[in-house]
Amino acid sequence: MRVLTLDVNGDRLETAAPDHWTLLEVLRYKLGLTGSKQGCDKGDCGACTVLVDGKPVLACLTLAAEAVGSKVTTIEGLRPAHLEGGGTGVDPVQDAFDRCGALQCGFCQPGMMLTARALLNENPNPDRTEIQKALSGNLCRCTGYTQILEAVETAIAESTESEPPRPAWTQDHPHVREDAL
Amino acid sequence: MAARDIHGIEAPWTEFKVVGKSHRKIDGMAKATGEAVYADDIQLPGMLHAKTLRSPHAHAKIVSIDTSKAEALPGVHAVITGKDMPIQYGVIPWTPDETALAVDKVRFIGDEVAAVAAIDEDTANAALELIEVVYEELHAYMDPRESLERDEPQIHPNRKNNNVSKHVELEFGDVDGARKASDVVVEGHYEFHGSTHTAIEPHCAVAKVSPEGVLTIWSATQISHYVHRALARVLEWEPQKIRVIQPCIGGAFGGKSDPFSLEFCVAKLSQLTGRPVKMLWTREEVFYAHRGRHPMSLDYTTSATKDGKITGVDAKILIDGGSYSSFGLVTTYYSGQLLTGPYDFPSYRYDSTRVFTNKPPCGPKRGHGSVQPRFAFECQLDEVAEKLGMDPIEIRRKNFHGEHTKTVNGQRITSSGFMECLDKVEKGSGWTERRGKLPFGRGLGVAGSMYISGTNYPIYPNEMPQAGIQLKVDRSGLVTVFSGANDIGQGSNSVVRYIVAEELGMDAADVRVIAADSDLCPVDLGAYSSRVTFMVGNATIDAARKLRKKIVTALAEKWEVPEARVRLIEGRAIDLEDTERSIPSREAFEIAEARFDTLGSTGAYNTPTLGGDYRGGTIGASPAYSFTAHIVEVDVDEETGRITVPKVWCAHDCGRALNPRLVAGQIEGSVYMGIAETLLEDHKVNRFGLHSGPSLLDYRIPTAIDTPEIEAYIVESLDPEGPYGAKEAGEGPLHSAIPALANAVYDAVGIRLRELPFTPAKVLKALREKREQESKAGGAAAAMDRHLGTH
Amino acid sequence: MLRLPKFRLEEPTTVEGATALMAEHGEDAMVVAGGTDLWPNMKHGLFEPKVVVSLKRVEAMRGITVDEDGSLRIGATTTLAEMAQSAPVQASAPALAQAASLVAGPQLRTMGTAGGNVMLDTRCQWYNQTHFWRKSLGYCLKKDGTVCHVVAGGRKCVAAASNDTAPTLMSLGATLAFASADGIREVPVGELWKADGIWNKKAERSEILTEIRVPKQAAGHRGAYGKLRDRGSIDYPLFGCAVRMDLGEDGAVAGADLVCVALVARPLRIKRVEELLVGKTPGTEAFDSAVQEVADLAYAQAKPMDNIPGDAEYRRELVPVYVRRTLQAAARGEGPVHHV
Ligand SMILES: Cc1cc2nc3c(=O)[nH]c(=O)nc-3n(C[C@H](O)[C@H](O)[C@H](O)COP(=O)(O)OP(=O)(O)OC[C@H]3O[C@@H](n4cnc5c(N)ncnc54)[C@H](O)[C@@H]3O)c2cc1C
Ligand code: SF4
Ligand code: FES
Ligand code: FES
Repeated sequence: MRVLTLDVNGDRLETAAPDHWTLLEVLRYKLGLTGSKQGCDKGDCGACTVLVDGKPVLACLTLAAEAVGSKVTTIEGLRPAHLEGGGTGVDPVQDAFDRCGALQCGFCQPGMMLTARALLNENPNPDRTEIQKALSGNLCRCTGYTQILEAVETAIAESTESEPPRPAWTQDHPHVREDAL
Repeated sequence: MAARDIHGIEAPWTEFKVVGKSHRKIDGMAKATGEAVYADDIQLPGMLHAKTLRSPHAHAKIVSIDTSKAEALPGVHAVITGKDMPIQYGVIPWTPDETALAVDKVRFIGDEVAAVAAIDEDTANAALELIEVVYEELHAYMDPRESLERDEPQIHPNRKNNNVSKHVELEFGDVDGARKASDVVVEGHYEFHGSTHTAIEPHCAVAKVSPEGVLTIWSATQISHYVHRALARVLEWEPQKIRVIQPCIGGAFGGKSDPFSLEFCVAKLSQLTGRPVKMLWTREEVFYAHRGRHPMSLDYTTSATKDGKITGVDAKILIDGGSYSSFGLVTTYYSGQLLTGPYDFPSYRYDSTRVFTNKPPCGPKRGHGSVQPRFAFECQLDEVAEKLGMDPIEIRRKNFHGEHTKTVNGQRITSSGFMECLDKVEKGSGWTERRGKLPFGRGLGVAGSMYISGTNYPIYPNEMPQAGIQLKVDRSGLVTVFSGANDIGQGSNSVVRYIVAEELGMDAADVRVIAADSDLCPVDLGAYSSRVTFMVGNATIDAARKLRKKIVTALAEKWEVPEARVRLIEGRAIDLEDTERSIPSREAFEIAEARFDTLGSTGAYNTPTLGGDYRGGTIGASPAYSFTAHIVEVDVDEETGRITVPKVWCAHDCGRALNPRLVAGQIEGSVYMGIAETLLEDHKVNRFGLHSGPSLLDYRIPTAIDTPEIEAYIVESLDPEGPYGAKEAGEGPLHSAIPALANAVYDAVGIRLRELPFTPAKVLKALREKREQESKAGGAAAAMDRHLGTH
Repeated sequence: MLRLPKFRLEEPTTVEGATALMAEHGEDAMVVAGGTDLWPNMKHGLFEPKVVVSLKRVEAMRGITVDEDGSLRIGATTTLAEMAQSAPVQASAPALAQAASLVAGPQLRTMGTAGGNVMLDTRCQWYNQTHFWRKSLGYCLKKDGTVCHVVAGGRKCVAAASNDTAPTLMSLGATLAFASADGIREVPVGELWKADGIWNKKAERSEILTEIRVPKQAAGHRGAYGKLRDRGSIDYPLFGCAVRMDLGEDGAVAGADLVCVALVARPLRIKRVEELLVGKTPGTEAFDSAVQEVADLAYAQAKPMDNIPGDAEYRRELVPVYVRRTLQAAARGEGPVHHV
């Protein structure tokens, strides 16, 4: 058992955990930050993705002790950070995921949104292939990724003030030319 | 009975204000911010952690189990085995052949044998290692053909037909006659492999038992109601003392639609220890729980006339059920019952046999039972078209069964937008300009399909509604909906919200939905067979209209105007003829509450009597069917055998799209899953009887770069019985993706792949065979030339 | 959850501190860098060290520098992502950057290290499984057992070297620096391996790889990496091949090398490659037919087994295809050869 001082979402948090506990276990079961999900617990799915010093890493393959001294961002931290930065509502990535219908069961999405957030921080205007590659460590079983890509592109369109993507069904469908959001 | 009311396809107030638009989902923000609570996010004070001991043998008798060492381990609070819960259950009441933990014998590697509750997972795991089980191994069945032929040992004892789980043989019309009279006959053998749901959330359940004996269980289930019933049966617990809550669920796809061992175990362990107990399965355990797509061996014969009219379809199907029945009775019927559209054929026979094997049990996966036959049949249709020199889309148009008709097996078809689906994908893909003109290696293929929007077979026979809704309205201006339905991410709670907002003329944000909590919500049968939007939607309209009536009556009385003048719209109540008179919904509710006392209403839905007049005729009888057409484009690398799918066009007739964005999401997710199981996924058991790779590394589901571009089209053939005309969208759009891909491969490189999955190795083999045949044919032709030349 | 077994974590900040800990704990200790191989293996019960020595806080082991003579020094805990994106690596050892860019998926490349990739445990479908699974099957030679499930009656483990960067490092003639309590020793990477799937390295388990040195390549150096896998991300190689091709001033091949992985316990150098290619000029028919000969040679020498998942027959069939494509890509100064 060791006492860990972790910087999570800007808070300095003290907790105690045995050495063999992963960051994912400590976040979820010691700190109550259950937004980070577990889908395989061994590096295969990306559901546990959190940002460590701004980079997406797998919390199921990171020891909690190894995260001491780094800045950890979980999904719970995106909205407060956005508000602190003077924004309103939620982080634009979260908002775009919600609007684009990307949040089906939502289980893969905390990891997905954090990966997307990190991508956009590094490259504010990636093309579709770059987005696909960046998200290729996060498995989603519900969406077929289509609305996820649309969401990321929508967030980009907003920040670059360009045209958001228009999937075929929106062009063709009598009721949805104006999406009511 | 109000439950069977048809509410019509029209908007409640001349035009739709909420329905038909792409609103946010009701739980979207909770999911976006990480606030949504899934089963494993629940932590209760004093909670214990439970783990399962599993069988290392595929088929064995349990001679003895000694748990004493495990019980003695510090930190262990309880150990249970099969004898603690020996009552058999099964989701289908006619085939109860499962127990919470194995009694007497185990039937596959991974079968549950014992469970331990301890202070933490490490201790529970350590305790599992201390349980001593003596097994006597039995012959294990890995090949379904062997199960068919051999009767000893029996996987489930005392069944009259040995290792056969279910056999159905039905014939409609004269198939043999049709074949004799036909101009073209296509015969073929097809192999459909197993695949599994792979919801990203592993199964998890938490239980607690109060001192008064009330059992509360939170479970990642898509069928709360059947879990409720099964718990009552197995634990011999009065149902009113059981509360089943489905928290937010991380994907299901049919994989969470059986009652599972872990639900019984946490309940029992909690009862024994007096403490809350959680069990979270590892990913590996989820693979053992399986209930995925049944492997099927399919022999099909399709007969047609020379102008392309199908005259008969003859099918013989061997279904590998794995070790338990699960939904197998239904699967066996579905494998035949659901093929009879969107085309009309006058004669049809199917002979389907489901057998047990010593593998993880199969069950319902998205497109339950009907994806496999659809693959075989749509490939044959392509061959018929080829033989006749017809365009593959044309042959599908030619055989379309029309709207408001009856299928050969007696199913009632109401609306059908299949022709429009074909038009859409034909146009979108540039079929006419591009098909047959692409370079070698590139190809386009088409296929169509049909699926149910719920079925009138309610799993256990009863006269009660299949879906129920309850509304509570009060002076705060909030409407709370209590829905028994399981929202599994498809957005059924959102749909309920939109419907209530539409009917009561409210801002959708002021409608909250409380769902899938058996203490609070009326019964709904669960999220399976694509029934939720259709049935729960109708029940919601029913409830909302009853409430609306009260509000309108109260206002009309108060304003002293006829009821027709009162309108609820966009969060207000107005007098249509005196626009000055306009009050917020909240005030309207106050007036109604004052007039009628505390406000509430209930709504329900039941299907009309449907189905063919023969044994099993109600299975697959749906109040409405959805229709789909796919065109898939493939790129086949001749050297590596790899098939890449650059793009898929999928048009789906979902009736009215209550929220088009959610419909598009269902189409895209279905297409993705269909392509994935065609090319990559294989739920295999190896030569040792072990799952060949029970992990998300070895069971390969596509990533964002492996997924084709998907162009979804929504077709709305408003159905007279659906809520505002809506039908299903969650399962139908998977089916025809698979045969469309197969047909595209033929267009690209001229090989007919009949054995799934289409691995690169199989592609290379087929290409090699084709080349050999061609060179033989070439050689023969050359020999013939020589022969002719010499004479 | 898939729990890690209990152990004590040590986090030294210097190489000396790390080697001292390894010496102190001997057999009971293992090092960890990114943990993307060790943690899953430990969760599967494949290793049960009492002490794990993390290299993450050893600052001196991280980063890429270019020496005056143009050679690269890659600190062992440099991440794969850093290596893939490093301009000097891309410029002077393109195959290495390509191989690093195709390891696993994005998060794993951010975590996984250059050194961890060299030291990666060999892989086998009968071994990289949970404890329950292996126990049900019957343990094998590599861990707790006496039989091999790949080679019936086999007495030697043939689990496959599956590290994407290993063959590229071999083709580049890299040298590895290992530190132990006894000091530093340098090993040419080609001499690191032995044909034993249980432990395929001629290094003590207590030795710490501190640095990878990639010598300056010839002026006309070309390199490429080809990787066969099912998905476009995440998956380990079903087959991998690294090509070095040095073009002379006349544009003809002056030197060449071809090393493959995901076959047997050690990365496999294909013999007689240079001989066939030297003197041939890319773009000519002679070159193309030499490339085809090399591909045939690879087919004859590289024989995939049923060690890793994936149809061994199929993998074998693809050996010449990937070899040919990767050689051609290298000649064009392109790569990697990968299906997406
Ligand atoms: C889902 C998944 C997919 C993967 N796909 C690939 C793939 O496609 N290709 C591939 O090559 N790898 C793959 N990997 C494995 C892994 O991510 C990489 O090989 C990575 O480079 C390993 O580095 P690491 O620092 O994480 O190693 P660690 O896990 O830290 O260590 C690996 C081994 O090397 C030892 N070790 C580490 N550093 C040193 C050192 N400096 N000195 C001595 N010994 C050391 C450790 O003791 C351990 O035995 C995959 C892993 C996962 C989980
Ligand atoms: S090759 Fe595989 S099965 Fe054989 S000993 Fe090695 S790890 Fe075990
Ligand atoms: S839970 Fe960490 S990668 Fe799956
Ligand atoms: S939204 Fe369900 S797994 Fe991605």
